[in-house]
Amino acid sequence: MPNLLTYYQDIKSVCLNYIEKYPRFTQWVLSPFLILSGAFITNGIVMLLCGYNPIEAYLSAAVITLGSFGGISETLVKGTPYLMTGLSVAIAFRCGIWNIGAEGQFLMGALAASYVGTKLVYVLPNTSWIAIPLCFIFAIFAGSIWGIVPAILKITRGVNEVISTIMLNYIAIYFVSLMIDGGPLQETSKTGPQSDPIVLWARLPDLIGTYRIHSGIIIAVILAAVITYVLFRTTYGYQLRAVGEGAAAAQAAGISIPQNTIRVFCISGALAALGGAIELMALAPRLTHNFSPGYGYTAIAVALLARLHPLLTILSALFFGALAEGSFAMESEVGISRQVTWMMQAIILLFAIGFGSISLFQKQAKK
Amino acid sequence: METDNILQLQNVTKKFGDLLAVDNIHFEIKSSEIHAILGENGAGKSTLMNLIYGLYQPTSGNISISGIPTRLKSPKDAIEHGIGMVHQHFMLIENLTVAENIALTVSQFSSREGSTSDTTDEIMPRLSKFRFKKDEAIQITSELSHQFNLDVDPNALISTLSVGLKQRVEILKALAVDARILILDEPTAVLSPQEVTSFFSILRLLQADNRSIIFISHKMKEVLEVSDRITVLRRGKKVYQGKTGELSARELAKEMIGEEISEIERKATEATTDLVLHISGLKVKGNRNEIAVSDITFSTYRGEIVGIAGVDGNGQRELAESIMGLRTSVAGQIEILGRKPIGTKHIRQCGVGYIPEDRRSTGVISTFSIAENLMLNTSQIDEISKWGIIDQRLKYEHSSSLIAAYDIRPPIADAAASTLSGGNQQKIVLAREISPQPELLIAVNPTRGLDISAAQYVHLNLLAQRTLKKSVLLISTELDEVLQLSDRLYVMSKGKLIEATNYRDDIETLGLFMTGESDTVA
Repeated sequence: MPNLLTYYQDIKSVCLNYIEKYPRFTQWVLSPFLILSGAFITNGIVMLLCGYNPIEAYLSAAVITLGSFGGISETLVKGTPYLMTGLSVAIAFRCGIWNIGAEGQFLMGALAASYVGTKLVYVLPNTSWIAIPLCFIFAIFAGSIWGIVPAILKITRGVNEVISTIMLNYIAIYFVSLMIDGGPLQETSKTGPQSDPIVLWARLPDLIGTYRIHSGIIIAVILAAVITYVLFRTTYGYQLRAVGEGAAAAQAAGISIPQNTIRVFCISGALAALGGAIELMALAPRLTHNFSPGYGYTAIAVALLARLHPLLTILSALFFGALAEGSFAMESEVGISRQVTWMMQAIILLFAIGFGSISLFQKQAKK
Repeated sequence: METDNILQLQNVTKKFGDLLAVDNIHFEIKSSEIHAILGENGAGKSTLMNLIYGLYQPTSGNISISGIPTRLKSPKDAIEHGIGMVHQHFMLIENLTVAENIALTVSQFSSREGSTSDTTDEIMPRLSKFRFKKDEAIQITSELSHQFNLDVDPNALISTLSVGLKQRVEILKALAVDARILILDEPTAVLSPQEVTSFFSILRLLQADNRSIIFISHKMKEVLEVSDRITVLRRGKKVYQGKTGELSARELAKEMIGEEISEIERKATEATTDLVLHISGLKVKGNRNEIAVSDITFSTYRGEIVGIAGVDGNGQRELAESIMGLRTSVAGQIEILGRKPIGTKHIRQCGVGYIPEDRRSTGVISTFSIAENLMLNTSQIDEISKWGIIDQRLKYEHSSSLIAAYDIRPPIADAAASTLSGGNQQKIVLAREISPQPELLIAVNPTRGLDISAAQYVHLNLLAQRTLKKSVLLISTELDEVLQLSDRLYVMSKGKLIEATNYRDDIETLGLFMTGESDTVA
């Protein structure tokens, strides 16, 4: 018995030693792998307890999502909003800003795009060359506003951005409801709580035939690449990361923290809002109550699983897209309710946060 | 086995991965001796003490207490075996009173086997683990402080106590659970010269009470003054053990670093009258909204090092931060080369370099690479980038030239700063702040936590700035450092600045200045 503690310490020191030796492998390969396998196993146990066969369920999900071009297309389509909101969260977290407001920013982007796509387009020439960029610009503007408010509150009043962004999510959710349920954006027939479909020339073109795969995906991937470049190759990105990794050192070096806070909040809000606009312009032509099934919150798991790296966020978002698509398969083939997938997302988030402590361990060992 | 060895370490080794932190050490503490442990940073002092205090378990080897081999699994275990530790950073609860802090510690330990002290046998049952008896706690505290002549008010809140008094409470805490062996980790680092003297008399009293003391320090003078025996550690190995007085300070230093070091000389230079920094009537508030710097006026000139000595927490940090624009002042003016810049960025553009007190959080960004840390200053990153895009070639040219010039090890531009030793991290800061040859360099405790050779390197760099006819403001808690380097000398105490250039050789008076006992010349 008394040796148990010693064993634990020995195992711990062996693990730490290993982590120290291969930091890159641990960070980019081992820890995502452990996060995912931990989540899959935990979720499998839950399925077992509910009387389902987890292996059968996982297999059918894999076949549906990856087994056909249609499945792959759906995975890409479902992954796109995760990618946009994931990028939004990743860049904010990189700067040490805990923006939980991607959900609200996503909705505000969709709202702005739907305003342009259902109202403003009629007073403009009927061409995609004007309508689509205008939708994007309005969405970016709306998202930035939704980002600047918590930034200003934080800088001037010291309000914690976690609280202010969550509150702004609620405001956005109810604001959208207000607009489409009796408000100016409600459909002209006034039958249901939804907007008119946006005009055809404001929609993003599909890519391949009858599949839903659309050009918004390409925009999202390009943005991920651009953000990677900005973060790691430009002075803006460098200073933004410096503020996130060592605010005191950055400040002492003359880097302005308020300036970076506002900047990153704008970018982060704009990315999530663009995600909302893309979703509206490519898929759902109407803005509805349940336009977002919590993309902005799941985005936190997406970004953390990708270790806040914009390029890895692509993979992580695709994984969450596959998970969403796979949940349909599990429901139709094995009869497992979709709630299992939502649970899975939360379990992944917990594992991702838990494994964050590996890097914490490393820091402790240094001392 | 000799019975007067109260603590004995045999062949004790501790490995962290491939690193031998403590390498096959034999070591014993006799009862009622003051045993000093000398060593540079990273020599293994802390690891050794943590082994004795049960925080670490040895990889191999034995620890015996009073001749009985013992396995210390936790600090609680160690305390139950009569080992107490006073950490460098106090482990006290600030918003509780002295008596409450002591009661908290005592109530963790109901009784102890083989306790030899009558006091403790009486104390322990008097405090319950479950119910707090306030009167009893106050009674116990005053009895203890009376018995050991450690005067402190049991009802005082810890947050209202001075550092010296907090240290007394820490010692009382250890005595309340009857520590026979007291480990004191750099206890004098936070004390003024006067406080050190009274601290030493406390140590002698404890010694007379048949307790043993392990005294960890890097200050040779104090070790020679107070200890009975000295052990010197170097790179995890015991390189010397002997009676105090056998070796001179110089010989001990040689044992510590393994080579002889030459004293650096400060050549006399002519004072100039070119004003660089002029501060008048400066008032700055601290983190708790208290007045941390009150009405300070002074100037620095080209070609001189102005030293500000003082005990930690007397406003030095706030003064430096307000000069750097990191903290807003309540009143007063700061002029740099005749200008009044606003904001850190502009202050730096006027030619100010800054070596901050806290290297780990303010000096470097530990997750950033060496190259990234070397371009942190806004003016430096502008130099190596075009249109906001960092030129990768210039970035590596910049870093490799600095890595070579300042001998940063390992010389790998992409290595994370966290993988570097404290000395090498400080070299990053030096390279970044000194290489642009700032008109004014503000250095706060620039050698804290560095070993002797690294500290000397820092000193040479500061003196080089002086030779270049630049101005240096050295703010340090190491009196020796300030005395050695500065042309003009101030003491900072309770937010006030006292001109002390004329008292360089009068440590007694400087000590009085530092404690704030005297701010005028007697």
